[in-house]
Amino acid sequence: MADPTIDLDLAAVLDESRRLAAAITPDSGPWDAIVVGSGAAGGMAAYQLAMSGIKVLVLEAGRMLDHRKEYRTMEWPYASPRRQRLPPDHRALAVAEYNFLDRPYGNHPAFAKHKKLASYAGNSYTRNWVVNEKEHPTTGTPYSWVRARVLGGKTNFWGRVAIRYGPLQFQAASRDGFDIDWPFGYDELKPYYDKVDLLLGVSGTREGLDQVPDGIYQRAHKLNCVEMHFKDAVEKMGRRYIAGRAGVTTDGVLGNKYRTRCLGRGRCSRGCDIGATFHSPTALIFPARDSGKCVVRPYSVASEVFLDPETGRAAGVRVIDANTREVMDFKAKVVVLGAGCLDSTRILLNSKSARHPNGMGNSTGLLGCYLSEHHMGPRGSGFIPTRIGTETTLDDGRPTSPYIPRFRNVTDKHPDFIRGYHFQGGGGSHEYPSHAHDTPGFGRGFKSSVRRYYPAQFAIGGFGEVLPRKENRITLDDTVKDAWGIPAVRFHYRFSDNEIRMAKDMADTAEEMLRAAGAENIKIDPTMLPPGWSIHEIGTARMGDDPKASVTDRFCRLHDVPNVYMADAAPFVSGGTQNTTWSILAMCWRTMDHLKEDLRTKTSL
Amino acid sequence: MTTPLVSRRTALKALGAATAFLPWLSEEGEAAFAEIQKRKAPPRLEVLTSAQYATVEALVEAIIPADDRSPGAREARVADYIDLLLSEADAPLRKQWLAGLAALDAEAVKRFRAPFVRLPEEQMVALLTDISQYETAKPKADAGLEIPRNEQPKPLPPQVDSLMGDVRHPRDRPTLEAFFADTKQATIHGYYTSEIGIHKDLRYKGNQLLAEFVGCATVDGKDCPHCGRKARS
Repeated sequence: MADPTIDLDLAAVLDESRRLAAAITPDSGPWDAIVVGSGAAGGMAAYQLAMSGIKVLVLEAGRMLDHRKEYRTMEWPYASPRRQRLPPDHRALAVAEYNFLDRPYGNHPAFAKHKKLASYAGNSYTRNWVVNEKEHPTTGTPYSWVRARVLGGKTNFWGRVAIRYGPLQFQAASRDGFDIDWPFGYDELKPYYDKVDLLLGVSGTREGLDQVPDGIYQRAHKLNCVEMHFKDAVEKMGRRYIAGRAGVTTDGVLGNKYRTRCLGRGRCSRGCDIGATFHSPTALIFPARDSGKCVVRPYSVASEVFLDPETGRAAGVRVIDANTREVMDFKAKVVVLGAGCLDSTRILLNSKSARHPNGMGNSTGLLGCYLSEHHMGPRGSGFIPTRIGTETTLDDGRPTSPYIPRFRNVTDKHPDFIRGYHFQGGGGSHEYPSHAHDTPGFGRGFKSSVRRYYPAQFAIGGFGEVLPRKENRITLDDTVKDAWGIPAVRFHYRFSDNEIRMAKDMADTAEEMLRAAGAENIKIDPTMLPPGWSIHEIGTARMGDDPKASVTDRFCRLHDVPNVYMADAAPFVSGGTQNTTWSILAMCWRTMDHLKEDLRTKTSL
Repeated sequence: MTTPLVSRRTALKALGAATAFLPWLSEEGEAAFAEIQKRKAPPRLEVLTSAQYATVEALVEAIIPADDRSPGAREARVADYIDLLLSEADAPLRKQWLAGLAALDAEAVKRFRAPFVRLPEEQMVALLTDISQYETAKPKADAGLEIPRNEQPKPLPPQVDSLMGDVRHPRDRPTLEAFFADTKQATIHGYYTSEIGIHKDLRYKGNQLLAEFVGCATVDGKDCPHCGRKARS
């Protein structure tokens, strides 16, 4: 079946990828720094270093990206005879399968007929970016780990919610006595959030809330009719319902020829072909490369960081070429890991030597522990009466839906759980009328009923903090390896009673707010989604000032090996309710400032 | 409504330097698929015979018919979409669905002495009303409010590879009811992803190039003609 949306011609970018991989060898250096990964963390690291004149080698495990061709932003579903379904040789894991099937998921015989088994995030737009679970097995407890191996990683299809951690996160332990605070407060990171806002562009409204501190916002999107109605209702309850904060430039950014301002098409998750949405390639990697100080080597699977036996410092990164399987040692003065929290941690766990028998940076045995993310799932929907039976309006021409900031354990103390959750969601005339599947009947009555409720749809879903607990951890699997022979991640991760009680409260408050808004046909689903669903993993190389109780110092540098820096969310102590990307960008910028200072002042580097 | 749409030309101008990178893939995709969208292009069937195709056309049109607002599932070529789903489904599912289609005809012959495709509208409606009875029982999706709270999710059986409907639900319904339910879900998906479903029936307004974001008119300090909310001072 010919399908123009599936049969993309990627010959040019595949050629480019092979050409770069062949041309860049360990002899092509020297480099000052090696950055592993090219997503939010690797992209920001490469950008900061290259723009300061530091020679950077970026190692990307996947291929390069043809953003002009692969971001199919405005494609209509009828462009494909399959209507956005995957072709038969591709398959994405379904939600129920994560908890039910044995790990590795790709080993299940039902998937033998599929060439590629993707995580739940695999769809007709992301299918060439997300990894094949058959090549990237995981073991242990269920975990829906979403990984993308392509230039830009998951930023090519991220959810765009760009919010800051605030005092409630940095001093969470001081407020409720659980675990520890971050080693510094919001004041320390605020200037970097500000810089990220200015460099990359973020839209939103200033609200003066401690839960989610204000940024430097460009033009915000507007709430639509059903959302204004919902806002009236929930704000009477003392809660807030505010415009979504999106990592999308709505007024444009200066000095980046790959990006332009948002035109309100609302198809951002497919990749934004005009570069309004922050994606690492257009926002960071291409400008870094244009500086002449940064080269990207695709198809470079980092297996470990290796030591200089003389100095005990990291000498470089061992790479397995994804295609040729050739093993190469790339050397540099410093190593920056930005492969994503779990993959960066995996690389360190796999970096075993006589000096570091349990993995690099793991003298405490804490590397891999304190895995945290956001639990999700409880959600509610209904129809807002003011728009039932009205004509369609343009309701989703925007990058993200509105936002209910955390309202639990902010000024009060909830009897059932500590920490809190937020909701994201909204409504109106979305392209696909999913309520039709729940509309009974057939014929003219059915059809007009679908239309009648179409503009009135409304739904919200919660994101809650998973407490950072030592026993929630990853290790390397003793026997299962990935397609390149690198030990697979083994998950030891379960939700605690605090998460389960919080999820129950999410469902209750979702129902309470929908009732307050007078919604019709309210449906509440209290089911928690499988672990990992949020794609917000943090914490497995936690930072701290005490080398005996943490993996990195407060500047995300390994206590044990001082020229290895973590650029992603692995050092984060706790994650609040906030989506992680914007904090990764701010933290990485701060870490790179420190790295530059180390390079300038420390002759031992 | 004064939606501030900008024209393609204006948008290209506004984009300036970035225009060289714009792929406009959507339009190429549309052109490639335009043929099958046209009512008169003959179907290129992979699975269905022309007789079965005619029955499917009649069935999907009965589920989502033409009305005074928009054409129905027949003109939206939902039967072609179902043929494609069948061609890419596993053999047992394909067989099961085709058996359901045959059972529909058998039921029509038994009750009205004519195959489904030749039934007058009231007989079609009577037959479909009977085989859609299960929908009046409380559907799973509506049971949310009764689910005991504070439970970890129970593992569901894995989703068998099916392109038709939700086969995770136990198949304890009679063949015809299950067949109707699956076909209705496929019809909904096929119709509301078609040009006719999106643009003519729903009159979906997004996926446009906007000069300004659009919201409830009260956000801009005006009374809203769509929801009736009044401007607040």
